[in-house]
Formats: sequence, C-alpha cells, structure tokens
Amino acid sequence: MPNRPPASAIGRKRGNQHFRLASFTLLAGAAVSLAACNSSTPSTSTTKAPAASSSAAASLSSLEAAPTATIPVSETGSSLLYPLFQKWAPSYTQLHSNITITPASTGSGTGISQASKGAVDIGASDAYLSPAQVQATPGLMNIPLAISAQMINYNLPGFSGTLKLNGKLLAAIYEGKITNWNDPKIAALNPGAKLPNQKIVALHRSDGSGDTFLFTQYLSKQDPNGWGKTVQYGTTVAFPAISNSLAENGNGGMVQGCSATPGCIAYIGVSYQSQTQADHLGQATLENGSGNYVALSPASIAAEASSFASSTPASGAISLIDGTNAAQGYPIINYEYAIVLAQQPSATKAQAIRAALAWAMDPKGGSASSFLNAVNFQPLPPSALAVSEKLLSKIQ
Amino acid sequence: MLNQSRQSHDLDQRSSACPEGSQSGAAGGTELPPQVLLAAPPSSPAPPLPPGGGGRGGGGQKRRRESQRAMKTFLGFFAALPAAALAAVIAALLVKAWPAILYNGTGFFTQRQWQPGGQYSQPVVTNGISHPLGASYGALPLIVGTVESSALALVMAVPIAIGTALVVVHKLPPRLSTATGLLLEILAGVPSVVIGLWGTIALGPFIARRIAPLIAHNVPDIAALHFLRGPVGYGQGLLTSAVVLAVMILPIIAATTRDLLRQVPTDATDGAAALGMTDAEILSAVTLPWVRAGMIGASVLGLGRALGETMAVAMVSGAVLGAMPSSIYQAMTTIAATIVSQLDSAFTDATGFAVRTLAEASLVLVLITLSVNVAARLLVRRVASTALPVGRGI
Repeated sequence: MPNRPPASAIGRKRGNQHFRLASFTLLAGAAVSLAACNSSTPSTSTTKAPAASSSAAASLSSLEAAPTATIPVSETGSSLLYPLFQKWAPSYTQLHSNITITPASTGSGTGISQASKGAVDIGASDAYLSPAQVQATPGLMNIPLAISAQMINYNLPGFSGTLKLNGKLLAAIYEGKITNWNDPKIAALNPGAKLPNQKIVALHRSDGSGDTFLFTQYLSKQDPNGWGKTVQYGTTVAFPAISNSLAENGNGGMVQGCSATPGCIAYIGVSYQSQTQADHLGQATLENGSGNYVALSPASIAAEASSFASSTPASGAISLIDGTNAAQGYPIINYEYAIVLAQQPSATKAQAIRAALAWAMDPKGGSASSFLNAVNFQPLPPSALAVSEKLLSKIQ
Repeated sequence: MLNQSRQSHDLDQRSSACPEGSQSGAAGGTELPPQVLLAAPPSSPAPPLPPGGGGRGGGGQKRRRESQRAMKTFLGFFAALPAAALAAVIAALLVKAWPAILYNGTGFFTQRQWQPGGQYSQPVVTNGISHPLGASYGALPLIVGTVESSALALVMAVPIAIGTALVVVHKLPPRLSTATGLLLEILAGVPSVVIGLWGTIALGPFIARRIAPLIAHNVPDIAALHFLRGPVGYGQGLLTSAVVLAVMILPIIAATTRDLLRQVPTDATDGAAALGMTDAEILSAVTLPWVRAGMIGASVLGLGRALGETMAVAMVSGAVLGAMPSSIYQAMTTIAATIVSQLDSAFTDATGFAVRTLAEASLVLVLITLSVNVAARLLVRRVASTALPVGRGI
C-alpha cells in the first residue's frame, strides 16, 4: 500500500517488538492459555491512557477515534461471526450514536464477494483470502478480529456420550465409506461406547461458507492422501455425492437440519453452541495435530491460538487448523476476518470502519469477555492484535 | 454492447419492413392477451380508407401514407423490443459463458461432479482460459433434477387441475364457483418464497414422517417402481420439490382449464345429453377433446414456470450439488436453485470461471425452457387448429 503509516507508528512498531518478545517468552515456557496472556499485559493500561508500556492498546485507541458525521456501516457474510456482530452493532451505536452498523448473515462467500465489489463496507469471513483473490482485487484485506472454533455435532437418539472423531474418519463419512454409526471404525476409536444402529446423514453447507473452508481444511490436513487430494478445501467444494447427505443454508440451517434429522453429523460454528446444546446435539472430541483427542473449551482454543499467534504473517492470512505445537489445542480454530478494501470512497467512511473494527478487537471494547463469551470466541493474542492494527491503519 | 444494439437495430428494421410483423407487434407493445388476438377472425379487414379518399388532392393521400408508415415504424419498434431484450440477455450470457463452454466441453452434460477447483492454489490457464486448479464442472445432475422435478410436478398438478376446473364449471353453484375461482387466483399470486418456506418447515417434515413411509412401504417391489421405494429421506428432496412446484403451477393450469371449459358450446354438450350420453361420456367424447389443445398449452405454461422456479426449490430440494436421486425421497438440486445458491461463492473465484460456468448453466436452462415451449406449440398445432389459450395469473 502506498499509504505511509503516520509518524506515531514508529512508537507503535517498537511496542510491537516488545509484544513479540513477550509472547515469544510466554510460548517458550509452555502452552499458555490466553487468559494468562491477557493478564500479562499491564492491567493499568486503559484504552485511553497512552502509556508507553501498552503501545498496542494506545494505537488501538487512536484507531478508535470515531468521526462525528452520521455514517451507516454495512456488514454481511459469515453466519459464524453474525451473532457477534449482532451484539457489537447496538453496543457500538450506543457509544457512537452517529455510526450505525447493519449486520447480515449470508455466508463467508457472500462476505468476500460483496466486500471486494464495494457493495458492503465490511465483509465477514471465517476464511482468509486466497492469493488469487488478493491479486484480482488489489487492496482487499483480511483483518483478524477474534478467534473462533468449529464444533463437530451429531444427533444420536439414545446415545448421550461424547464421541471421539478424527479427520480420516470424518472424511470417510463424508465420502460415504462409513454409513452407519455402529461402524467398527467408529467403535474402534470409542471403546465401550454403545453406538446405535443408525444411518449417518452427513450435512454440509449449500452456501459458500467459511465453515466449509475450516472443516474441509481439517479433513485435508488429517487425510492428506485421501480428502486432501480428491476434494481439497475451499468455501465451496465438491462434496462427494452420497445418498445420505443434505445441504443446509447457514449455521442456523445446520443446527435446524441436524436437530430434525436423527443420525446426522454436522460442522457448526462455535457461536451456535448454545443452540446445539439446547437441541441436545452431541459434540465430538477431535484429534489434533499432536495426536491427542481434545474437547472444545476456552482453554483448548486459546492453547491452539497462542501456538500460531507469533507466526501470523503481516497479511493476516494463516490457517490455524490442526497445528502441531499445542498438545492440548483444539484442532479446528480460525481467525474471524473482516474483509475490507483499503481504499474507501471517503475519509469519513474509512475512519468509521477503522474505528468500529478497532473497537471490536479491543479487549476492553468489543473483545471484552462480556461479548466474546456469549459466542464462545477468544480475543486475539497480542501479536495477532498487532498485525490487525497495522492492517486497520491501511484503511484510508 | 455494440453487438446488442446492432442486433436490436436489425430486428427493428426487419419487423418494420414486414406489415404482418407490425400487426402482431401491436399485441407485444400494448400487452393484449394473445388469446384475444388469436381469437380474432383470421382475415381482419384492411385499414379502412375513407371512401372517395383517392379522389381528393394527392397531398392528403401522401400525408396519410406517411402517417401510416410512421405508425408502422412506431409499432414495429415496440414489436421488436421484447425480441431484442431476449436477444440481448442471451447474447450477454453467451459472451460471459463462452470460455466456460469451451473449457467444460461436452462433459458439462455428461459428468456429475461440480468441482469449483482449489480456490487457494494458483490459478491455471488452459487454452487461454484462466480457471482454478482442478476445476471440473458437470451439470448432468442439475439438468436431470430440473426436468425430473418439473415433470413430476406436472404429473401431480394436471389431473387435480382438470378435476378442480370441472367441478368449478359444472358442479358448483355460481356463488361457490366464483369463490373457488378467486381462491385459485390468490394461490397463483402467493410468492414462491412463501411456498418454499411452507415447504421447508411444514410440508417437508410431514412428507418425511407420514406420506413417504406410506408410499415406500406399500409400493410393490418391482424394478420399474424402485424410485418409489427405499429410505424415505428427511423431507428435503425430489418429492417435496415436486409437490411444492405442483402447488405453484396448479392454479395456472386450473384457471386456464376453467376458462376453456366455459367456452365449450352448450349446443354440443346439450346435443350429447339429448343422445342419452352420461356425464362421463359427455366429458370424454365432447368436453375434453374440445379443450385438449388449450390444456396442453396451459400445462406447458405451468411446466415453464416449474422449470425456472428458483427460490422454493432451493429451499426444499436439499440443494445437494452432484446428487442424482435414485428415489423420489432423496435430496437433489436444479439448475435455477444452483445458480441462486452458488452465485455468491462463485464471485469469490478470482479467475471468474465459476461465474462463467453459472452463465453456461443458465443458458442450458433457457434452452430447456425454449425447447419445451416450441415442442408444445408444435403439439398444439397438431392436436387442433384452435388458438393457444394463455391463462392469467403468472
């Protein structure tokens, strides 16, 4: 980008190095939970105080300066991020009555395509942009906002236990090679579990979806010679045509479809956990890159996230799936991205988008636990936050 | 753009040069129901010239001729507009789809896999056409799904429509008949997305729980009927789609049939009754043959609507790309439903190839609809020489 960072960025840069160092030492110690990470930042630093020791927060606060003109900001995309945007929008308007954010749940594919065409101000996506997309639309950025995760859910009447599953097994199910829940391969992974004689119905998304991207990437990484060669990964893939499969629209559709279909298996964003629990859907324990079976929990998401945070590139585009550096990390996690064009039609619009997104990723603002806990997301680790800030400052 | 405007200009000239063209052009421009026009006597009188007009000054005649010509050009322009619009749409789609047509080849009609290719790997160029690595599109399941669901809908809707129309015209007292007719028209006006929602939350589960098991478990186990047997599915699939489509096309066919039945002359039916024919005999010997051609026309109208119906089918078909249902309970998808559900993710294909492929799919849909219409017109011409009645309510 031709836009040079403002002079104050020099101070920020130095601050980032501090953060890199800090997170590096933390990582070196052990897989540290994100909560610990957060508590290591000086708790005295508020977003308003330009304390030298918290320059990341300081630059966030400068990015958060909102314009005074009345500005509507539109958002569309990821149905996984949608519940969070729904919480953010009214809270942000309460802080800045001149800025109204209108979120819509349409799928990550729509989020990316609409943002790249400038049809919406913010596209939401669980998937990062492909190199080809960035090449096709110069200035299109993916800015990490928070950490999300994906559940593997199932509807097995009469079975209340927790199933262990892995990528190879899931690939075999979605390829139609395993068709019944009492298949010996599932039983072998789950000794002692009384698996019912029930046909498996594999649900997948019909819309272009970041969840499909995450799920198929997990299968590709765990089954590199099978799924990774045949189906590969993407927001839309050619799911093998098997007789017992259904396609659903959005995460909401997946929850509804799985609840209505005994024997179903589905991949659903963690922001829908309260719905899947209300509908008594099972939630699988997954094999991670270290070969351990880990349940989804705030700690396991944070462990996986911190194992990737320092390697996040300046573009923000990185897969957090199936990492090998966190023994107790949950394998399907991802950055939730805001897809934004660097060049905005007006400076006021750019400022409004910068301000709203900076607030959204601020641990004292939109990434406070009061927001993220409701959707089971985790805040960005400090080094990832620094990457996001640099990207935000490019919106002009 | 240049092509399109030239094309419309050509059409413009052609129709203004042809007097017959400008006559029917009045119909296109002012939106008179074709029924009215076609019902008019075939040899319409020539434009009336005032008697003795030729005797007066040549200047007056010249002016009249000029105004006549101006009128022809004017009407010709409006006559050409609809045709030009169709040509423009098809031309634009063709231009967009051309690389996809070349790359996908005949496999588009024979293969089953809808593989957009790796969006995250570097795009590949084959014969000058840029596309994602591993992109391979087969639309066979979409085409089959489109035809199957529409045909099944027609099979369900036509008998019910005829029954409804017969009852409305011959059996119900006038007031009830009017009320039923009104209800039919209301049904025709319900937006498809509403029917789709009903199909998803009410009809689909009902079919899965009650109807499908009833059929699947009672149909005799012979090979020809295997598409009615097997697992009863989950309420989203071919059967639900067909029922939803049938509900949508039923009022179109029924309303048209009702109007046709009202046109059957009472002389013929009275005569048949005087000969001692029963109601059933009158129906099969007089009434139905009289309306047969119109019925085919009405059914094709319904079929056309069913083939192109998008939203409702996208909601109840299961929308499973690449699915070739072996029973009527299994999930499937159609061309229209695929276009609407895949368009946004197609736009994320940086090479643009996915959008080109959707354009190709839409051309196939246009082709299917057009050929159905042409076939129907040929059929109607063969069955009877009466005009093709076109009902209201689309």
